[in-house]
Amino acid sequence: MISVDLNAVGMKGAIAEAAEGKWGMVIDRDICTGCQACVAACAMENNLSFVGEEDAGYGRTQHWIRIERLWEGEYPEVKIDGSFQPMLCQQCGHAPCEPVCPVFATPHSEAEQLNLQVYNRCVGTRYCGNNCPYQVRSFNWRDYHTLPERGNDVNGKMVFSLHNQFNPDVTVRRRGVMEKCTFCIQRIHKAQDKAKSEGREVEDGEFTTACAQACPANAITFGRLDHHESLVSQLAKQERGVKHLEDLNTLPRVTYLKEG
Amino acid sequence: MTVTSNYLSGSEKAHADHHEEEHDPRELLMYDPKPRGEMNDMVMESMYHTTWRFWAVLGILIVVVATCFVYAWGYMISEGLGVAGVMRPAYWGVFLVNTVFWIGISHAGTFISAILRVFKAEFRRPFTRAAELMTTFGLIQAGASIFMHLGRVWLAYWLFPIPNERMLWPNFHSPLMWDLLAITTYVLGSTMYLFLPLIPDLAMARDRSTGWRKTLYKVTALGFRGTEGEWRHLTTAMNFFAFAIIPVMFSVHTIVSWDFAMAMRPGWSSSVFGPYFVLGALHSGMGAVAVVLFIMRATMKHMDYFIRKEHFDALGKLMLIVSMAYAYFFFNDYIVQWYGGDLATDNLLHWLEEGPMAWMFFQMVFFNIVLPWATLWSSKVRQTPWLLAIIGLLINIGMYWERYLIVPVMLTINRMPFTWKLYTPGIEIYLTIGTFATFAVFYMIASRLIPLIPVWEVQEGQMTHTLRKVGKTEVPTVSEFE
Amino acid sequence: MSDTTLLAVFEDIDPAANAIEKLHEMGVPNENINVISGVPIMHKMLGRPHPKTNVSRLSMGGAIAGFIFGVFLNFGTPNLYTVSVGGQYITPIPPGLIIVFEMTMLFALLATFLGVFLDSYFPNYRPLEYVTEVSDGKIAVFFKCPEGDQKKITDALSKLGAESIKPAEAQQL
Repeated sequence: MISVDLNAVGMKGAIAEAAEGKWGMVIDRDICTGCQACVAACAMENNLSFVGEEDAGYGRTQHWIRIERLWEGEYPEVKIDGSFQPMLCQQCGHAPCEPVCPVFATPHSEAEQLNLQVYNRCVGTRYCGNNCPYQVRSFNWRDYHTLPERGNDVNGKMVFSLHNQFNPDVTVRRRGVMEKCTFCIQRIHKAQDKAKSEGREVEDGEFTTACAQACPANAITFGRLDHHESLVSQLAKQERGVKHLEDLNTLPRVTYLKEG
Repeated sequence: MTVTSNYLSGSEKAHADHHEEEHDPRELLMYDPKPRGEMNDMVMESMYHTTWRFWAVLGILIVVVATCFVYAWGYMISEGLGVAGVMRPAYWGVFLVNTVFWIGISHAGTFISAILRVFKAEFRRPFTRAAELMTTFGLIQAGASIFMHLGRVWLAYWLFPIPNERMLWPNFHSPLMWDLLAITTYVLGSTMYLFLPLIPDLAMARDRSTGWRKTLYKVTALGFRGTEGEWRHLTTAMNFFAFAIIPVMFSVHTIVSWDFAMAMRPGWSSSVFGPYFVLGALHSGMGAVAVVLFIMRATMKHMDYFIRKEHFDALGKLMLIVSMAYAYFFFNDYIVQWYGGDLATDNLLHWLEEGPMAWMFFQMVFFNIVLPWATLWSSKVRQTPWLLAIIGLLINIGMYWERYLIVPVMLTINRMPFTWKLYTPGIEIYLTIGTFATFAVFYMIASRLIPLIPVWEVQEGQMTHTLRKVGKTEVPTVSEFE
Repeated sequence: MSDTTLLAVFEDIDPAANAIEKLHEMGVPNENINVISGVPIMHKMLGRPHPKTNVSRLSMGGAIAGFIFGVFLNFGTPNLYTVSVGGQYITPIPPGLIIVFEMTMLFALLATFLGVFLDSYFPNYRPLEYVTEVSDGKIAVFFKCPEGDQKKITDALSKLGAESIKPAEAQQL
């Protein structure tokens, strides 16, 4: 009997294994206070655009992490539904956004098990945004960083004082490209560089993402999922741990600890 | 009254009715032949003949193109897509509605000239070219709309499979990539298919024109004389095109539907989307052909000889059949979604029925299904060109609403209720007007530059149609020359 | 080349067919006759041999080339620079079928179109023997007339309904 490896010839021979992932996050909804510190920290760390009141109100916020407040009923008869839900890119192992990009602008990193976004490859079809069930991708609708009303005319030259707070480790994106949470990949790389120069592997807890760092309640834990004794993998295995929209088989790397 | 007499009187009545409605076959174009020279002159005159109204409309449309298409697009490129209405969650908006709509319009041409040619439906003969022109010009608008929709349109060449120094190729997993290849195939295929049967007519125009037109037709007719070999090569190629372009046409709109159906979204992820979109495309395409034929007949000289009641009648029947098929797929799509009970889909359906866009949903059902079913069964309606044109126009509005509901309105509802937000178009409105104006300008200019009636095909048809005497009457008879 | 090329114009298919038959009788072989017409006329109606065409063969060639190109795009290029996306295989078969189909059709259509150009020697802007009445639906028969038979043939064709018979001249179309 000849057996053919169906995967090798490109057929749906085997269901993709639920790979463990390398980097992971656990968000405890029980202790999240909805203070938005993570949103602010993320914006500072990753050079996010300030889109202004009008665009933000219209659904064009550039936040890579957002605090979702869910409620039931019509105002004023509003019933808050549970707690706050920070939502960010789930770094899916089986990401629906990846295969739909016609120019490979959002490939999968085999080494880091992350979902990458290549800004300078993106042509702005926005298919990835549509196909993301978590709706966490944000598009650069305008060149928000250089809007004329944000700058000062100094001797005929436009000076943007907000540019001084840019993080030099992160690209500033221009209009027409898609972006999303990277799990602070610049911090991952920095830690890896340091570890490499010291001849070792990156340890869990050696660094953390901006959102986890800023969270005053310690609701966000980031670390190595493939180290089984790490805090993040211990928390992810808790009974309270749930994955968002798990039935879509996206294999998210973010675990939510439900209220209880 | 006895049963017998009842039967007899009924039969006599039916006979009398039938007699009243009976048409003389000589009212049909194919049984009302004119000498070829005369038909040539009529077609040539229809091209030469322009009134001040033509130039006035053309002038206004060109101004509209310059402002609503060229300027508005340039402004959007320089400012970014922020000037459009797209946002999260409706990352796609009217640009893709226009793309789907124009590709739908383009399906009419292929359907009429390819499918009807393959099945030798004789009524197609005088208006194949008018429909094919709609295909080519509609596809140009569809292509423009896709490029408008890109965030960085100046890098659109990255989508093409061109070898480059980084060895980076496009992603053939992506439905957009399939779309690009399919639309490219369709644009090139339908343009070639427009040009091949045009060559003999261009040669005809070359033989009877002077000045710059002579030069134009001389170059485009490629030195065609009509030798046996040339005709043989041409008809062989046209036959091949007629058969080959049908699967291409089906694949194009199926792949357009896959842009939506492949996504994991409530409302979109539906396996019936392929045929549903193809039928929807034919539905709007047939309606658009009725509109264009009406305008052609009303504004161009001698067109009432070539385009007659019989053609509107046949088109009306096609519209009715397509509307029924469309309703079938529409029902299939919605009943499955309705029955499923998936929470996100339920939310979506509820939103369509009761949300702010519910008027659009019910108008769509009315224009696409109720209206054609209620009117087109009547041969009087079908044979009244202006009425058929209005029905065609309303069907197109219905089909536009259908695409609008599928793209931005269905995008409103997703699995993350926090992001739900209704889309409002911005600069898209101008650019939509711009694509319509561009289509009209192209069509108007083409109507004065190329023979809109394939004269040789009409003559060929008239040669194959004869009246044969059977008993005391003459019956129409068609022989096959090919 | 002492033969002159004559051109006879006919109003209808029947007289043209009779004239061609007469020409055969008078010793003008099929290779020396050419017919031009404003509509495609079946060769059998005029009693002419079936004209050969390479168009269908070229379409087939185009289809094969397109098939190979499609296979290269889908199963070749991903291996030149491997990028992995969302749980899908590098060279998947079902989407590949779409690429292969589209490329096959595109190349087949292009080859067919090109085939018409190649087989008919288009574009051809040199002077050619032609009469403009042809696009008015008339049928023109060219034939190489054997020297000396010119008068005889002209008379015979006139009797069969030729509207005009004159020596053909190549002219700029």
